[in-house]
Amino acid sequence: MYAYETLRVVQDGAVVTAFLDRPDERNAINMRMVNDLSHLIDAVDDAKDVSALVLRGGTDVFTCGIDLHEFAAHEKRNIYGLQKWEHVCRELERLSKFTVAAVQGECTGGGFQLALSCDMRIAERRAVFCFDEVKLGFLPGMATFRLAKYIGFGRAKSIILTGRKVRAEEALSWGILDRVCDQVSFDETLMATVNELLPFHPVALEMARRLLDESYATSYENFLGHFLAAQYRAINSEAFDRLVAKAARQEHQERRADPARGRRTRAK
Amino acid sequence: MIETRRIVSSRKAAFRRPTTGPRILSVGAATPPRKYTQDDVLELFQEKDPKVRSLFTSSHINTRYLYLPDPVDGRMAEETNQELLDKHLNGALEIGPQAIEECLRPLGLAPYDIDFLCCVSTTGFLCPSLTAHLIKKMIFRENVRRVDILGMGCNAGVNGLQAVTAFAAANPGKVALLLCVEICSAAYVSNRSMVTGVVNSLFGDGAAAVAVRQDGGDSWQAGPLVVDFESHIIPDAIMAMRYTLEDTKLSFFLGRDIPYEIGANVEKPVNRLLGRHGLKRKDIEHWVVHSGGAKVIDAVEYNLGLTDHDVRHTIAVLKNYGNLSSGSILFSFRELCREGVVREGDLAVTIAMGPGTTIETALLVW
Repeated sequence: MYAYETLRVVQDGAVVTAFLDRPDERNAINMRMVNDLSHLIDAVDDAKDVSALVLRGGTDVFTCGIDLHEFAAHEKRNIYGLQKWEHVCRELERLSKFTVAAVQGECTGGGFQLALSCDMRIAERRAVFCFDEVKLGFLPGMATFRLAKYIGFGRAKSIILTGRKVRAEEALSWGILDRVCDQVSFDETLMATVNELLPFHPVALEMARRLLDESYATSYENFLGHFLAAQYRAINSEAFDRLVAKAARQEHQERRADPARGRRTRAK
Repeated sequence: MIETRRIVSSRKAAFRRPTTGPRILSVGAATPPRKYTQDDVLELFQEKDPKVRSLFTSSHINTRYLYLPDPVDGRMAEETNQELLDKHLNGALEIGPQAIEECLRPLGLAPYDIDFLCCVSTTGFLCPSLTAHLIKKMIFRENVRRVDILGMGCNAGVNGLQAVTAFAAANPGKVALLLCVEICSAAYVSNRSMVTGVVNSLFGDGAAAVAVRQDGGDSWQAGPLVVDFESHIIPDAIMAMRYTLEDTKLSFFLGRDIPYEIGANVEKPVNRLLGRHGLKRKDIEHWVVHSGGAKVIDAVEYNLGLTDHDVRHTIAVLKNYGNLSSGSILFSFRELCREGVVREGDLAVTIAMGPGTTIETALLVW
């Protein structure tokens, strides 16, 4: 059994919630947390009874970003830890379940990127988002790739180059966030957001998310080929089998109740 | 951030890499001397039908190497069945030896050192078979063991790999050689229909060879271990890809549902292959997929969750050579080796699909 050191993980029915949990370090993302997230994502991916993963922090801080104590002070630093971090964000982005980021308080750097990697993002009104890396002299990871797709090139430039703080309401109006609420209604809003995503059809989720992901980077012709391959898979999935069977049953019942009905609809 | 360990999941760490086994030591490939763009071929066929023309232009193929006869009055001369059979043999005996030489040169081996020769081809029927012709032409030993695989189509590169791997495992220290040589232009029929248009817009000529040996002295740098194979056949789709007879000539038929049929089934052998080694798809660093055509590649990507990057060699081989039938996975494998990104412990899955309808897979580890 794997023991999480930097995450508090709870399961409620089909929803797994992971709290970033290094309260003394303002939930700074260290290598152990990256590894914990990697294990969590693997476990949730494999869990047949799970439909959604929620990422949360504390009530005052989601995370202050990457833990700078992780870097050697007097040696040449390698890229592999950051590579693993990007790998984990990608695994989260492509997880076979719905993903929701629920942010309270500060959400800086790597935390902002975790949120961008999720399917939906909600925040408490006091939450503040920021990429401070360029101001500090390094880079906000592959958020440089993701952010502009959410909010456009100009706004992404401004956020990443100035490192300015974006309040929850502003993030909501730009489409970074799906919902903003007060502290008292946070849990309720989170639950409503998860419920809005359900029911969970794994094939439809995987295909839709992947096509959306590619929509900025492919020609119409290539995309059409991808779409047809994806749709073929979807219409041959279990969920679609059930849908078609249900439609057939309904028609059968309606015709028994009103024998003229079937003929009428067909004559249209 | 300090991370000294490789990016591996706990699952992959649990995968036990065999300490010894047959390794693919080298790969070589060759093509006919003349290269054609899709426009060149349309010009030679003097194809006017816009539907057939659009097959060529939307094929995701830029160039192919082909043995095409010289044009007469701007149009490609009609070839008789005898001419097509001769073209297959002569072509195979030109590019086959070139591929074998490129494969053996870095190993310091000559055909004389080969203990087992397996030839794969579906684009011409011969008796005596290709191995006999090659042995005569290239001076193999008189006691070389041999087998010819005929008529298995695009997936046969993996079936051939099964044969040479089994020989190498049973005969440690001995060298087995696999040659896939397809002269697809010897199976072209030009009758202006969409059926032949699909074939003529897609397939290219090429030969590729790999040498396989089991030797405890070889390290991961020598080449990947061939760990396992998994097959999958869909008997209901037996007619989806097949030869038909057009007058006296064999003409290849490709059903329109093939990409979807492959897509709907490709997970099955891959999951079985990986599952019994405790692996998942995301543990695999490299994918060596048959360049069957743009739609087939899309279907494999979307059903296995692979990206364009994962199948970059497959796409590049399709673009530069067309569908090389049985040899195309070896061309992709050569691209991967040349890229120089492979590291110790990396895993690769090979997938080839073809008539049957069948999907053949192999698991490799460096």
